[in-house]
Formats: sequence, C-alpha cells, structure tokens
Amino acid sequence: MDPSAAGMTFPPYEFPVERGKIREFADAIGDPNPIYRDPAHAAASPSGGILAPPTLLRTFLYEPRAAADALQVKDWSYIVHGEQEFEYYAPILAGDVLTARDRIVSITEKESRRAGKLQIAVIETTFHNQRGEKVQVARRTLVETGKRISE
Amino acid sequence: MHPSFHSLQAGDAPPPLVCGPLTRTQFVRYAGASHDFNPNHHDEVYAQASGNKAVFGMGMLAGGYCARLLTDWLGDGSLRRLRIRFASRFWPGDVLTCTAQVTEKREEGGERLIGCEFSAVNQNGEVIIRGDATAALQL
Repeated sequence: MDPSAAGMTFPPYEFPVERGKIREFADAIGDPNPIYRDPAHAAASPSGGILAPPTLLRTFLYEPRAAADALQVKDWSYIVHGEQEFEYYAPILAGDVLTARDRIVSITEKESRRAGKLQIAVIETTFHNQRGEKVQVARRTLVETGKRISE
Repeated sequence: MHPSFHSLQAGDAPPPLVCGPLTRTQFVRYAGASHDFNPNHHDEVYAQASGNKAVFGMGMLAGGYCARLLTDWLGDGSLRRLRIRFASRFWPGDVLTCTAQVTEKREEGGERLIGCEFSAVNQNGEVIIRGDATAALQL
C-alpha cells in the first residue's frame, strides 16, 4: 500500500436504497423481521417505513473503487478485512437516496510474528440522505499482510 | 418486548442465536445480496488453488447474524454504533452461535445508552468474529 494515500478524499457517489435490496439482504442473513419487508408493519412502527438493516451499507462500498485503488495494493490476495465499524446517526429507509463520500483516514505499519510486516489502512465513508442529513459513517480496516494468509 | 434501559444490567444477555449448519448456497446468496464477489467465498476451485480447504463464509455474513441478535434483543433502530472484528474463518457445515452481553450503561447527549460486546463462535468454540456495540434504549 502507498502510505502517501492517507488523507485522500474522493468524489461523492449517489445510490438509492431500494426496498427489494433490503428484503434480499435480510433474507441472505436469515433475518425474518417484518421491519425489512412488510410495508404495513413498517408504516405503523416508530421508523414509519422499511428500515435498512444495520450492516446493509457495506454492500455499497465495493463500487466505485477509487479509494481502494488509491491504496495501490499489488495483490489483493494479501489483503484481509480486519474490522468493520458503523456509526448510526439517523434511520435509513427504503426509498432514500444516499450520497457517500470516501476518505482514507490512515495507513500505518505494524510487525506481526504470524504474518510479517503489516500495513493497516482505514477507509471511512460518510453517508448523507436526500435531505442532507448525515445518516451513517462506515469505517473498514484493511490489512496487507507480508504473506498470503491461509490455513 | 425489548428491555428498558432501567431493566438491563451489566452481564445481562439475550438468548443465543444459532445459525447453521451453514451451506455454500447461503454464502452465494449473501454474495449476491451484499455484492461481495471475492471468489474465495463462492468458487471452490479458486479457493482451493489459493490454499483453502473449501470456500469460506464472509465475515460480514457472521456480522449480519450478530447484528440480528442485537436488533432482535434491543429493538429496531436502537443501534448507535457497531464494530465487528474478524478473527477466524468459517466453513460450509459450521454452526455459528451468536451471543451478546451488556458491559456498561451511561447517559450521553440526552440518550440512555448501553454498551455491549458480542461474538460468533463455531461448534468448536473458536471465535469467528467479535465486536462491540452501543444502543439507545427507552426508560
């Protein structure tokens, strides 16, 4: 990874949070909660609408790849997703249109007995909704290991 | 009914959520839903050529299971923060057990917050993911 990428910011990107995607995601994690699929139940709940599950937004972080590309990783098979963090500021409902902004927070180095020299990158994405409200911040920690990690 | 802020104490825990035995189909379903197309999670030939005994599950799938445990317990929309740390892999046939417990209570910014820690372990007791979360509760 290129340590000089720390601090870089990237062009915002926009995406809709669709009701079908929420249901598909809830099904994939085996969560039968009606708040993710039943409009009548959701309308009568405090949120007033179908809610995004807590880990949904990781789904929208694979594209675009500008922030990931800026890390200048030579071989992604040496990269481990070490940690994922979410901060929740306001509910995200089906039908919302979110704008995401990526920032490379830091790139640091560490020695590991098991995996050699590690480089640790933290990418932060801030999400605002169509009313300009900050709804969520996601932080993913990517670790480049000195050797390929396998069993 | 979800617990109130006053009713919860450090050490309180919800009933564990048991997921599995997990199948390759569940991994593929999560790949499609989450856009995680790392071939190690769906392409057995690729995964084995990369030194893995089989495809393995996405850490965020286990994270989704633990998030469900928390929202079932504390209520929809109650989470203020969630941090997931990926510790080990899980494989087709594994059974993951998700547990959580309250670690602290505090009031901050007009909200009544509880802190908790959680983990998902496999059938041998090996930790697959661990993490911590903050949730806002009603009195």
